[in-house]
Amino acid sequence: MTVIKENWVFVETDLNKINPVTYELITKMKQISHDPVVAILIEKSDANLETELSEYGPDKILLVKDDELVDGDDLELTDALNKLIQKQGTPNTFIFPATVVGRSVAPRLQARLRTGLTADCLDLKFEDDLLVQTKPSYGDNIMCEITIPNHHPQMATARPNVFTAEKENNPALKIEEIDNLEWEKDTKLQIKSQVLPLKTSNDIAKAQRIVALGRGDKTEAGIGIANNLAKKLHATVGVTRPLTDLDQYTITEQIGQSGQTVAPDLLINLGISGAVQYTAGISNAKIVVSVNTDENAQIFKYSDYYFVGNALEFSKALEAIL
Amino acid sequence: MKIVVCIKQVPETTNVKINEKTKNIDRRGLGGVINSYDLHALETALEIKRNVGGEVITMTMGPDDFAVSLRETLALGADSSILLSDRAFAGADTLATGYVLGKAIKKIGDVDLVLLGQQSVDADTGQVGPIMAELLQIPQVTYANEVIAENNSLLIKRNLDNVAQEITAQLPLLLTVTDTINQPQYTNVVEITKSFAKPITTWHASELQLDDSRVGQAGSPTIVRSISSPEKAAKVGHKLTNDPREAAAELVAILKKQNILTEED
Repeated sequence: MTVIKENWVFVETDLNKINPVTYELITKMKQISHDPVVAILIEKSDANLETELSEYGPDKILLVKDDELVDGDDLELTDALNKLIQKQGTPNTFIFPATVVGRSVAPRLQARLRTGLTADCLDLKFEDDLLVQTKPSYGDNIMCEITIPNHHPQMATARPNVFTAEKENNPALKIEEIDNLEWEKDTKLQIKSQVLPLKTSNDIAKAQRIVALGRGDKTEAGIGIANNLAKKLHATVGVTRPLTDLDQYTITEQIGQSGQTVAPDLLINLGISGAVQYTAGISNAKIVVSVNTDENAQIFKYSDYYFVGNALEFSKALEAIL
Repeated sequence: MKIVVCIKQVPETTNVKINEKTKNIDRRGLGGVINSYDLHALETALEIKRNVGGEVITMTMGPDDFAVSLRETLALGADSSILLSDRAFAGADTLATGYVLGKAIKKIGDVDLVLLGQQSVDADTGQVGPIMAELLQIPQVTYANEVIAENNSLLIKRNLDNVAQEITAQLPLLLTVTDTINQPQYTNVVEITKSFAKPITTWHASELQLDDSRVGQAGSPTIVRSISSPEKAAKVGHKLTNDPREAAAELVAILKKQNILTEED
């Protein structure tokens, strides 16, 4: 096995659009590595996503134009990426976004290559060629530094919204198109994909201010007040998992491990107890304010300011003076 | 349909601390519970069994006292359990864990569906499922939030970040599920009593035809260099006054001072 001195970044595309987390990973890897950063782009034959991708300054784009592989399942993508490594050599590192796609394909490829993989990294740095990966555990209560000293590629998935993407003109950029990957087809799964409703300024993951609603405030009055407060604050409304049982909320508004990771300047939690499945999604929030009737609520441990008492009364009072 | 649900026993709280002396996670006084996502996986298996018939086997890897969690799955409706227990398994990362679990699935034989929760709430990786699928050379569908079983196939719905997918999957398959897929049921005294008549079988390393170099610490490419409690997790919260109006005023003043709120707010 030849290890090549390259850092590969998997470009996630969702129905012919690049997921912006890709740019965050390219920027981060360029900042920490002396070796070339190579973006692995799989796209439709008539697409031209490499133009957009170039703006973030990767040193090389390995381009696979393949109408079938674009919609490939995890098994097919694993096989294709493995074939690509057989063709090009084993990169020193291979980074994926910690999205559903990344967190599904990366471990499968890891098992195929029998190397190590660190999930959900919040930081990455190099010590010579060794990638030092910082990963949260126990719902972000513990941070672990993990290395993969004897296997290649050193693999990691890294969480969206943690690194900042920066545009950069890289005159040395090379685009290398790969044909004849000859990946193996999997006929056992049939996938029908459909774009979810476009996220707009309401997109909770990008919201600067969020009013979040929990089980303790799952009443019509509670929802009404939260909406009024959000309107006054120009904030987006988010919810915990139990609220998604209601028709008006889905996974798009849900904050936490099985929903969205948020990073607002201001997060106001109303009637949220602070289960780990929720708090794992708010660790990047700047100022956290929480209201709960239980003075021992877990959520207070994740809060800068807290109010012990009725969320309705507090929200009304807050709304009134804004 | 022959279904195996892999569960993990995790500390009952994730609010863990590091022991200053050992620099390791302090597990003293921490009880174990079944990883919450795995309860949704078990419920998925039981629903499928109710609809198309079959057998539900639960399995975990860990020390002998993890049998308590397996007994709980039996009380919830599983038919039998397997405990993979051996000193050789200690120190396994996700790759070495997936290897042993995969070997056990092969030993069970003719498994149609392998089910797991989307991730554990302690290590948070979600990697063991895909690793097993790869070692078993079967397709996988992860993060499912709806499953309808037919005789030889499953209709599955899942959401990627910007895309909704509907998948028809033939068996055998490995499936991981989110916590939005169903509401796990509670058990009752009758079921708990009945569970003691159901078998929990223990398999040791010697019974699984393992390659020693792929097991435990030896089979784990990742090394944990250090662990720490980030400051983030221990925010020292400032308690606002008890009166809602005064508290709201106090908060607004603080947030304006910090430029989180502007004068326009």
